[in-house]
Amino acid sequence: MAAAASIAVKRKRISKKNKSAWRKTDIQDVEQFLEHQRQEERIGTFEEKQDADLFTIDASPLKAPPSLLSIKQKRKLNAKKPMRTHLALENTSKVQDPIVSRNHVKQKQNGRNIEQEVRNPTKPRHRQANSDRASYYEKMEKRATDKQSGKRVNNMEKDIWIEEDFRDKIPGLKDEKGWISRNLALHIAGNVGKKLVKTHASLHHKTTKAKKFEPPHPGMSYNPTLRAHQELIDTVVDRETGIIKKEQHLKRVTTSMFSKVTPEERDKRRLMEMSEGMPDAEQEQEAAGEEADETEAKPTDNAYTTINAPVENKKKSKQARSKELKQKELERLHQVKKALKKQTADLNRIKSIRAELNEEAEELNELKKRRKQTVERKKFEPKRLGRHKFEEPDLDVNMPEDLAGNLRNVKVESNLLTDRFKLLQKRNMLPTTVAVTRKKSKVKRYPRNSHKEAGTSYQDLRDQRKAAAAAAKANKDTIKI
Amino acid sequence: MRRPKKYESGEATQYISRRAALRKLQLSLNDFRRLCILKGVYPREPKHRRRAQKGSSEIKVLYHSKDIRFLLHEPIVWTLRDYKIFAKKTGRDRAIKDFRNLKRRLALFPEIKLDHIVKERYPTFIDALKDLDDCLTLMFLFSTFPSLHLIPREQSNLCRRLTIEFLHYIIASKSLRKVFISIKGYYFQAEIKGQKVNWIVPHYYPFKPQSRQEVDFKVMSIFVEFFTIMLGFTNFRLFHGLNMAYPPQFPSNMLQDSEDTFKDESSFVSDRIAALNFELLRTDKVQEDEEDIDIDIDMDLLEQDGDSKRIIKMKQEAQETARLRTLFKGLKFYINREVPREPLVIIIRSFGGKVSWDSSVFAGATFDENDETITHQIVDRPSVSTQYISRDYIQPQWLFDCVNQRQLLPTNKYFMGESLPPHLSPFVDAKRDTYIPPEEKALHDPSLIETHAQSDDESEDEAAAEEDDVDQEALDAQLQLAYQQETAEYKKYGDADGVNEDEEDTDEYLEEEQSEEGSEEEEEEEEVDEKTKRLQAEKEKMSVQSGKVHKVNKRQLHKAEVDEHRLQARMVKPRHRDLFRKLIREKQSKEKEQWLLKKKRRNIEADAKEAKKQAKRDARKAAAAAAQAAAQLTK
Repeated sequence: MAAAASIAVKRKRISKKNKSAWRKTDIQDVEQFLEHQRQEERIGTFEEKQDADLFTIDASPLKAPPSLLSIKQKRKLNAKKPMRTHLALENTSKVQDPIVSRNHVKQKQNGRNIEQEVRNPTKPRHRQANSDRASYYEKMEKRATDKQSGKRVNNMEKDIWIEEDFRDKIPGLKDEKGWISRNLALHIAGNVGKKLVKTHASLHHKTTKAKKFEPPHPGMSYNPTLRAHQELIDTVVDRETGIIKKEQHLKRVTTSMFSKVTPEERDKRRLMEMSEGMPDAEQEQEAAGEEADETEAKPTDNAYTTINAPVENKKKSKQARSKELKQKELERLHQVKKALKKQTADLNRIKSIRAELNEEAEELNELKKRRKQTVERKKFEPKRLGRHKFEEPDLDVNMPEDLAGNLRNVKVESNLLTDRFKLLQKRNMLPTTVAVTRKKSKVKRYPRNSHKEAGTSYQDLRDQRKAAAAAAKANKDTIKI
Repeated sequence: MRRPKKYESGEATQYISRRAALRKLQLSLNDFRRLCILKGVYPREPKHRRRAQKGSSEIKVLYHSKDIRFLLHEPIVWTLRDYKIFAKKTGRDRAIKDFRNLKRRLALFPEIKLDHIVKERYPTFIDALKDLDDCLTLMFLFSTFPSLHLIPREQSNLCRRLTIEFLHYIIASKSLRKVFISIKGYYFQAEIKGQKVNWIVPHYYPFKPQSRQEVDFKVMSIFVEFFTIMLGFTNFRLFHGLNMAYPPQFPSNMLQDSEDTFKDESSFVSDRIAALNFELLRTDKVQEDEEDIDIDIDMDLLEQDGDSKRIIKMKQEAQETARLRTLFKGLKFYINREVPREPLVIIIRSFGGKVSWDSSVFAGATFDENDETITHQIVDRPSVSTQYISRDYIQPQWLFDCVNQRQLLPTNKYFMGESLPPHLSPFVDAKRDTYIPPEEKALHDPSLIETHAQSDDESEDEAAAEEDDVDQEALDAQLQLAYQQETAEYKKYGDADGVNEDEEDTDEYLEEEQSEEGSEEEEEEEEVDEKTKRLQAEKEKMSVQSGKVHKVNKRQLHKAEVDEHRLQARMVKPRHRDLFRKLIREKQSKEKEQWLLKKKRRNIEADAKEAKKQAKRDARKAAAAAAQAAAQLTK
C-alpha cells in the first residue's frame, strides 16, 4: 500500500510521442526562475539597496484609539448634539447683523413651566400646590418608614369588641350633665366627619336554615366499621344509579324517540322536501302532454282559475230566522226546566253532596299542606342565585380495596378547597358559576431557518446529491490504475 | 293623583340586579365582587323573580337594594377606586421607564383597611366565634399552599402564623373536645366560650395542584383575605382572655444563649412557636390547678339552684370535661418520624401530656427517644428494630379513640403491627335510639367485649349450663349497678359533701348511718324499757334466711307504664297534640325497626351457632366412627 501511495505522489507520466504532446511538459518552475533572474538584472539585488530606498517615515496622523464609551453613553452624548436636520438652519454667514437691537419675539410656551412655579411661586395657587406637594411627600415618607418597620395597615393587635361609646372619641361630646342628647351627638358626629353607619338587619339575615357544620359520615373514617362504610357506599351507589336512570330517561325521551336513517336516505329526503311543489321531471313530461291536449281544446285561454269554489253570500230568509229564534227559546226553557228538576232531585242527595264538598275541602287542605311542606323544605335548600343551579357534589368515599387501616397509607379522597367552595355556594354566599375557558386559536409554528438542524432540509439534500454526483464524475475522469 | 306605574313599588324596588349595582357603585365587576365578599353582602333569591326583574324572566344575579345602598357608605369603595388609578399610573410609569416615580408610587400603594368591617359583621365576639368554622378550615388549607397564581406567598404565610396561634390557644385553654381522622383530613371540635368550633386540617401530603375549572381561586383568596383579619382579632381576644401575651412570646428563661439563638433569634423563636411544644409567656402568674378549682366552685353554685334533670346532666358533662382535660396527664409520648406530628402534638398537649419527637424532624424536641421515662411511643410501621420494655408502642389511632371516649383505653388492641379496631366518628351520638350492632356497642363500652368473647368458644354441653350462670351473673351485675346508682343518687341529693365514686365510701356511709341510730337509742333508753325488751325478744327470734330474688311483676310494670303514658297524653295541650302523636309514632317505628334488626341478628347468630354445633357433632361422630374402625382393624 505504501508503495502505491508513493507512486500516486510522483508526477504522472504522460506520453510525449508527438511533438504536439511536448506542450504537456510542465516548465513553469524553469520559467519562474528565469523571470526572477531577469528582474534582478534590471533593478539590482536586495542587498545592494540602501535603507532609505526601502523604507519611508510614516507622516500620516495617528488613528484615534477605540472609544471606551458604551453604546448607551454614546447615544446620550449624541442626544446632546444639535439635530442634523437643524444643521441647515444654522447661520454660517460671517456677515454681522446690520440691525443692532432686535425685538425678541417671545416664544409661546406649551403648558406651564412647573419648575419655574416651584422655584419662585408668583401666584397663590402655586404656593398651595407647593404645600400640597410637601404634605404628599411627608405622607409618602411616613408610609415608607412604616413599611420598613413592619407596621401593618390592618393592625390586628387590638380588641375591637370592647364596648365603647362613639362620644368618647370626639372631644366635647361627652357630658356628664346630660345636656347633649344621643341624637344630637349622632348629628354632630356626622358633621364632624366621623359618621356612624348603622348596619341594617337585612345584612345579618340568614338565607338558609341548613346547619353550618355537617358532621362527616361515619363511613368516611380512615378505618370505618363495616356497616358504616357499607351504608356510605350504598348512598353513593343510589345517587349514581339515580343519575344513570335520569340520563337513560332523557335519552329515551329525546334521542331514541326519532327514527334513524342512513345519510343517503337523509339527503334524498331533504332533496324531496326542498323540491316540494316544484314540477317533477316525470310530471313535467305528463304535464307537457296534457298541455298539448289543452292547447288543442282552448288555444287562447290564459285566464286565472282557482280550485276552490267561489264564496257566495247567502242571505237567510225571515222565516228561517224566526224559526231559529224559536228554537233557541225552546232550548233555554228546556235547560231551566232541567235545572229545576235537578234542584229538586238534589234535595234527596244532600248527604252525598256534603260528602263531595268535604272531599273537595280535604283535597284543598292536602294541597295547602304540601305547599307548606315544600316551602319549609326550600328553606334548607340552596337558593337559585344565578343562571346555574347548584348541584350537590359527589360524596367522598374510599373503595373497599383502598382502605389501608393505618394512618400511613390513607388514601385521601377529597379536595378540601373544592369542598369549601361548594359549601359557600350551598350556603348562598356565592352564585353557582361555571368556569368559562376561551378557546385559544391554534397557532401553527415553524422553526426558524437558523434553528433548523443541519442536513435535514431539502436544500441540503440537494446539495449533498450534487456533491455526490460531482465526486462520481471526478472519479470517472481519473484513471484508475 | 298620579296613577302608579308598573314596577315602581313592591318587589321590583326591593331588588337590584348586579349590573345596576355596578353602575350605582361605579366599580368594575371584579372590585364589586371583592367588596361584596369583604362586606358579607350576598346575592338573594326573590320570591317572584319576574316581578323583581321588572318583567324579565331570565335568571339574573340580584341583590337586596338596601344592601347596595349600604355599600355606598363604605370607605373601602374609595380604596377600590384608588386601585384603578394606581394601576393606570404605575402602568404609565413602567411604560415610559420612569422607575424613580414608579418606586415612589409603589410605596404609596393604597391598602384596604378591614377592621371596622369585622366589627360590623360580627357585632359581638360570640358572633365571630360562631362563624369560625369556615374561616379555620380555609386558613388551615391555605397555610399548606405554596405561592400560586392569585394567591400570594404572604397570604399563605400569614395563614400559617394565625393558625399556629389559634392552636396555641386551643392547647393552653384545653378546649379540644372531639377528634376524628377521615379520608378528607383531621376533624377537630373545640368548645370555646360555649360555642362549638369545628375545623378540618388537611392530611400532610405534598401539595396537589388544583384545576382551575372547579374553583375560582380569586374568590377564595378574597375570602381568606377577610378571614385572616377576622382570625387575627379573634386570636388577640382569645389570648388576652387567657392572660397570654399576644403575639405569642416565650418566657425569657426559655431563650438560652446558644449558637442557634444568636444566629437568628426571630427564626429560632418562630420555629419553637410552630413546634407547639412550649408554654407561652403569660401576663400573670395563674397556675393551671387554680383554674380547675374555679370550675369546681361554679358547679357547686349550680348545685344549690335545684336538682332538675338538666342541671344534673350539666354537672355530669362538666365532670366529664374536667376528666377529659387531664386525660394524658403524667404520660410522656414520643412520636416516631413517620407519624404526622402536628395533629398528635395538639391532642397530646391539650390533654396534659408531654410530647417529643426526633429533633431532625422538626425543631422544638424536648427529649430523646432513649429517655427511659417515656410511657408511650407512637409508631405507624409494622416493626421497630430497637424497642424499650418500659413503654408501649402504639399506633396513632389510640390517642384519637381515647379522646373520643374520654378515657384511657387499654393499649393492647393498638400495639404496633396490630390490625386496628374501627375508628368511630365522635359526631355520631353513641346513645342514639336506633339499632346499634353489638360490635359497635362493644367499642363504646369495653366491658361488653369480654362477655361476648367468652361466650364464643364453649363446648356443647357446657354451653347450656353456663348460659344460666351468665344470666345469673348479668342479673347480679345489674342489681349491683342499680344499687350503685341508687346510692350515688342518694348522695347527690341528700349528701352535700360532694361526689365520691368508690364503693368503700358507700360502705363507710352505711356504717355511719348505723352508728347514728345507735346513739339515738341510748338517749331514750329509760323511757322505752318495755320497748327494748320487746325488741330483744324479737331479736332472739331473728334468724338469717336464704334470700329470694326479687321478682319483677312484668304485667304490673307494663300497666303502670301505660297508665303513665295515658296521663302524659292527657296533659298535652290541644295545640301540641299533633306533635305529640307524631313523636309517639316516630318512637314506635324506631322501636319496631330496632326490634326487627335485633331479631334478625338473633336469628342469624342462632343459625350460626346451630351450624357450629352440627359441625362439631359431625366431627365427633366421624371421630367415633374412625375410632371404631380402628378398633375393628386392630381386632
